Amino acid sequence: MVENARTINIVASLILIIGIAYILIPLYLTLTTASHSYEFMLQNGLVWSIGDQFLVNIRRIFTETSIPLQMLNSLAVAVGTATGMCVLSFLSAYAIVYFNVRWAGAAFALILATVILPLDMRFVTTYQVASNVFSPLNALLDATGLNDLIAKIFGAPFHGEWSILDTRLGLIAPLLAHGMGTFLFRQFFLTLPKDLFKAARMDGAGPVRFLFDILLPLSRTSFASLFVLMFLSGWTSYLWPLVASSKADTQTAVVGLARLIVEDSAVPDYPLIMAGAILVSIVPLTMIALLQRYLVQGLILSEK
Amino acid sequence: MNAIDPAIHIAAANIKLQNVSKTYGKLNIIPNLDVEFRAGEFTVVLGPSGCGKSTLMQMIAGLERVSGGKIVIGDREVQDLEPKERGCAMVFQNYALYPHMTVFDNIAYSLKIAGFTKAERQARVEVVAKMLGLTDYLARKPGQLSGGQRQRVAIGRAIVREPAVLLFDEPLSNLDAQLRHDTRVELAELHKRIGATTVFVTHDQVEAMTLADRILILNKGEVEQYGTPKEIYHHPASVFVARFIGSPPMNILSVSGDGTALRLADGQAVVDSHLIGDFHLGVRPEDIVVRNSGSQPGLRAQVRYREDLGSHSIIAADLAGETLRIATPFGADAPDFNVLAFSFPSDRLHLFDTKTGRAIPGALKEKT
Repeated sequence: MVENARTINIVASLILIIGIAYILIPLYLTLTTASHSYEFMLQNGLVWSIGDQFLVNIRRIFTETSIPLQMLNSLAVAVGTATGMCVLSFLSAYAIVYFNVRWAGAAFALILATVILPLDMRFVTTYQVASNVFSPLNALLDATGLNDLIAKIFGAPFHGEWSILDTRLGLIAPLLAHGMGTFLFRQFFLTLPKDLFKAARMDGAGPVRFLFDILLPLSRTSFASLFVLMFLSGWTSYLWPLVASSKADTQTAVVGLARLIVEDSAVPDYPLIMAGAILVSIVPLTMIALLQRYLVQGLILSEK
Repeated sequence: MNAIDPAIHIAAANIKLQNVSKTYGKLNIIPNLDVEFRAGEFTVVLGPSGCGKSTLMQMIAGLERVSGGKIVIGDREVQDLEPKERGCAMVFQNYALYPHMTVFDNIAYSLKIAGFTKAERQARVEVVAKMLGLTDYLARKPGQLSGGQRQRVAIGRAIVREPAVLLFDEPLSNLDAQLRHDTRVELAELHKRIGATTVFVTHDQVEAMTLADRILILNKGEVEQYGTPKEIYHHPASVFVARFIGSPPMNILSVSGDGTALRLADGQAVVDSHLIGDFHLGVRPEDIVVRNSGSQPGLRAQVRYREDLGSHSIIAADLAGETLRIATPFGADAPDFNVLAFSFPSDRLHLFDTKTGRAIPGALKEKT
């Protein structure tokens, strides 16, 4: 090993360089395409040189497309899923680890089931529920015959109707149903000294106080990791937002970008799309740059 | 005593457990316990793991509910109260310090919850820190402290509220031998100074013997014996206690009485007695008298091996098919021959019932 260190270094560097090139060249081409005009692109295709139309294209994004508004939607979805996920996972993990709940094991198993049965697999049913939140309740009442009873007493059977499609709630809620956060917090809680909860009780702290005074400050890193991970996945999620909203001003930016290609009449306006792509990537890129420490910790934690 | 003492005022309270029981599902940890811990005393609850001693402590603290019975601290029935209302403080086996708080905040946390002002908290913590030698470490976090210092912080956190009852759950088991000894001495001194009723759970007999005013020996949730260390050592109430206390533990031999003497299985007479029937006979290794010469009258046993421990030696010998351990002074004339002659002191023998395992006090002294 020691004798070959030089050769290994060279080979490793080569592999890394190829990998970096594989990732960076498309990104560079995105940048060059975004800096030329539509006409220039039609004549020359993909080029390696950087043009002078970048700011013009960016301005066109603001004036001709819904991308800026859709970025606000994306922000709402990303922050909403990340925050909701943090709060829900933290509380559910707290209940599972620290309280003597008889069915805690079963509850945790159900929560984990969302990891092996992700949203992509539950698409059709999720869409049905989103189009009418009451539909499971309606079906249950019908199936159990309770609705006949209700019809007798109140004169009409119960039939709720509430669609959350085309709303931000509808975009966020299904993305929240994911067990990874609960798993992450549970694993973290289990690494803490097990008598901590008892010690706090002896000191006079009830469950809520323990949550805020002890558990929350200790979980800061886990919170940051989960928030970054969920923010990124919320921002880049495509399939569900594509289905859940059909109007341009409720769609997310990633969906909006893809919709720019919709006209199949001519060659799509790639410079405009690429400029949009760059604009849309700035937010997650900044996020990664600022919080990459937590991102790495989160990835390590969730793999354990 | 010490100039800082007046700042910690502890009104020790006695603890009475009346018909206390604890079951987990079908598992009966403590069937029925009736015991009183006296005010201001240092009581050690001793027993093998799984004997219910930690459960007992947690029920006193309020961390576990009783399945039945009453717990009275002072003159209050506390079995249905929250831990903070019981006036107990606890030191945990793994300390359970709050990792994100400084030593000061760890000690002051309970005061903060109880609504003490900042000045009061400051004053109290300083007194406790001085008492435990933690003054220089108040700004540190637990992660920056050694095991012994963490232990002291845990104790400080417990005594800062001036609890009527101090509970220790195997607090020394995470320390190395030297530190364990030092902390033991410190704990004994601390108890003398503050005088809180102390209940200390352990499975270590040395801790029990050195620290306790009174030892409660538990086995399968029931009291085997409750008494001073001296009583327990010299008058064990059962075979279980006799085997549990002492290092090496007491020898327990099967004997049967024929009306003239108690005899071993091979027919050797151990001691004159008019008793008839089968018994267990207990004799402490250090009470056995070894004869120098093999020609003198007395009991004989086959020597198996000998351990020299510095302070004394232990000889293991085969006696009527059972192992007999004998403690002799180190370097005492070692009989080189295989057969060892020795005698049992008739006033230091313990007789136990074969079926119940309970001691039969005075049985050997009544002999004519």
